[in-house]
Amino acid sequence: MPEDAPLLQITDLSIRFGAAATNLVDGVSLSLDRGETLCIVGESGCGKSLTALALMGLLPTPPARLMSGTAMFEGRDLLSLSLQELQNVRGDRMAMIFQEPMTSLNPALKVGEQIAEAVRRHKGVSRDAARNRALDMLQKVRIPAPEKRLDEYPHQMSGGMRQRAMIAMAMANDPALLIADEPTTALDVTVQAQVLDLMRQLQDESASAMIMITHDLGVVAEMADKVAVMYAGRIVEAGPVAAVFENPQHPYTIGLMSSMPSLGDRSGKLVTIPGIVPPADAMPEGCRFVSRCPFAQPGCALAPPMREFDRGHAVACWRAPLETGVDAPSPEIAGAA
Amino acid sequence: MLGFLARRILIAIPTVILISVFVFTLQKLLPGDPVLAMAGEERDPEVLAFLREKYRLNDPLYMQYFHWIGGVLQGDLGISLRTRQPVLTLIGEKLPVTIQLAVMALIIAVFIGVPTGILSAYRKGTWIDWLANIVALSGLSIPNFWLGIMLILLVSVNLGWLPASGYAPLSEDPLRSIQTMIMPAFVLGTGLAATLMRHTRSAMLGVLKSDYVRTARAKGLNERVVILKHALRNALVPIVTVATLLFGELLAGAVLTEQIFTIPGFGKLVVDAVFNRDYAVVQGIVLCTAVAFIAMNILADAAYRILNPRMRDT
Ligand SMILES: Nc1ncnc2c1ncn2[C@@H]1O[C@H](COP(=O)(O)OP(=O)(O)OP(=O)(O)O)[C@@H](O)[C@H]1O
Ligand SMILES: [Mg+2]
Repeated sequence: MPEDAPLLQITDLSIRFGAAATNLVDGVSLSLDRGETLCIVGESGCGKSLTALALMGLLPTPPARLMSGTAMFEGRDLLSLSLQELQNVRGDRMAMIFQEPMTSLNPALKVGEQIAEAVRRHKGVSRDAARNRALDMLQKVRIPAPEKRLDEYPHQMSGGMRQRAMIAMAMANDPALLIADEPTTALDVTVQAQVLDLMRQLQDESASAMIMITHDLGVVAEMADKVAVMYAGRIVEAGPVAAVFENPQHPYTIGLMSSMPSLGDRSGKLVTIPGIVPPADAMPEGCRFVSRCPFAQPGCALAPPMREFDRGHAVACWRAPLETGVDAPSPEIAGAA
Repeated sequence: MLGFLARRILIAIPTVILISVFVFTLQKLLPGDPVLAMAGEERDPEVLAFLREKYRLNDPLYMQYFHWIGGVLQGDLGISLRTRQPVLTLIGEKLPVTIQLAVMALIIAVFIGVPTGILSAYRKGTWIDWLANIVALSGLSIPNFWLGIMLILLVSVNLGWLPASGYAPLSEDPLRSIQTMIMPAFVLGTGLAATLMRHTRSAMLGVLKSDYVRTARAKGLNERVVILKHALRNALVPIVTVATLLFGELLAGAVLTEQIFTIPGFGKLVVDAVFNRDYAVVQGIVLCTAVAFIAMNILADAAYRILNPRMRDT
């Protein structure tokens, strides 16, 4: 594996369910370097979790079907590993934190045991050593009275506490890649900020790369080096976070930005993108955003490829790059709201 | 936990009283005269009158009840009208036999039902699942007496592997005791295995979909650990509850099987007592069964608490 190869290189990942005719994740390509943080943003149901689960080999197949794609991670294609190889990677080199802290821990097992188990599985250390590691990790995620918490059950902890425990579990083996699927969505606002802070700090210490899934642009601004915007199963825009925020190119990205009061619409008015995501059985052949796009043109019936137009900044829209400045939301979008 | 048990036992007391009243009155409403049954060929009115007086059968019903229940509270279930033995002794002799049968049946049922249930949930929709369900359905629909007779014919008469009937107490000749009990236990166990299999399957299906099973897989644990440690631990709650309740049912349900295999257990005692209008014995047995049933219910609840950390502190 060449030294400068990215840590993770996803190419053309497509997923569909059962006999459906459309891909719920369609031709997704992403790359991530060591230590980097990539945020995937997009509305609910756009395929963020499916993408993450596919990487972890956690999609239930069937009904899910991998239609195409490779995901090169440390020299191996995650999507074609045998179950046993996959089991050796996940929880060790690659770990995941889930969206639902309340249900993601096993209610019948002590929290300490659940963390220590991950360590024992991959590091082959003694029970005591694994327990010590679990204690370390609980301290690291700043759970008060960690010795006591080791022997507690998940139901004795709050949601924020449980998510911290999940983070401790995921980070226990110093993974090279951490996938966090909306780790704070289910938490109180104040707790959200603490957990994000914590994750960033842990990531700095361990030099893990991270894929953070979110639909909160505030989280992107705070955490990301790179951002990928997803719409209806496809990546529509991706690039360094500063570039995408300052110079969004895809009409959907622009819409997203302007729906965020602090970034787009300076008047404080919340702008939403008119229309709805087309249902899976009525997905257009070409650009999937066409039904909601104020700039739609006949050519959009052909799917636009991702084109890089600035260093690392790529967009899938026939009209890009826009010649006109897009500092303010375009009048068509703002007006229609 | 102790507080919980105490509470449950207190709540059970009115139930037991109600059952005792019910059993007592029902007995009295049945046709047939126990005195005639007792006296046998004797039809001398004086003898009959004497017997009536002796067993207080002329007292008002409620007096008879209080007399009986008063004895019960002191551990005296009365005397068999037929054999003149204390009912408690009779039950004490026969109950262990039936308990042995029920325990063996339950073990067989657990060893067949739980693994098949796990497998069929894990392989849901495959031929394994189908096969397990078909076998379970047959297990439920084949009558015990038929299966018992077929087994006797095949295993004992044709193959001569196991004795067709007879009984040896576990304490005297354990090997022979198990040999004679294994067929009836199997017959009793099959129906249970089917019930357990279906409960295990549905409990596991629910658990296998849960987020924490996904977490366990995300940790890189192998499927054996995911299923047996993470999933089964949680599915165990309903399984153990059902198994405990089934055990209570087994004690009562062994009658037919004991008849087929001529095992001198509780079932035989019941049948003999009912046919001979041996009131005291029938009452004692029903009361014992009811108490055992309630005890099993309490045990099931206790197991539920022990297995379920969320319930432990309450
Ligand atoms: N088991 C399944 N069978 C059929 N469709 C599914 C299944 N799981 C997910 N989907 C569909 O796949 C699409 C993408 O789901 P996914 O969970 O990836 O969305 P998401 O982007 O993570 O959304 P959210 O922000 O709500 O978590 C959704 O439209 C969903 O309905
Ligand atoms: Mg999701």
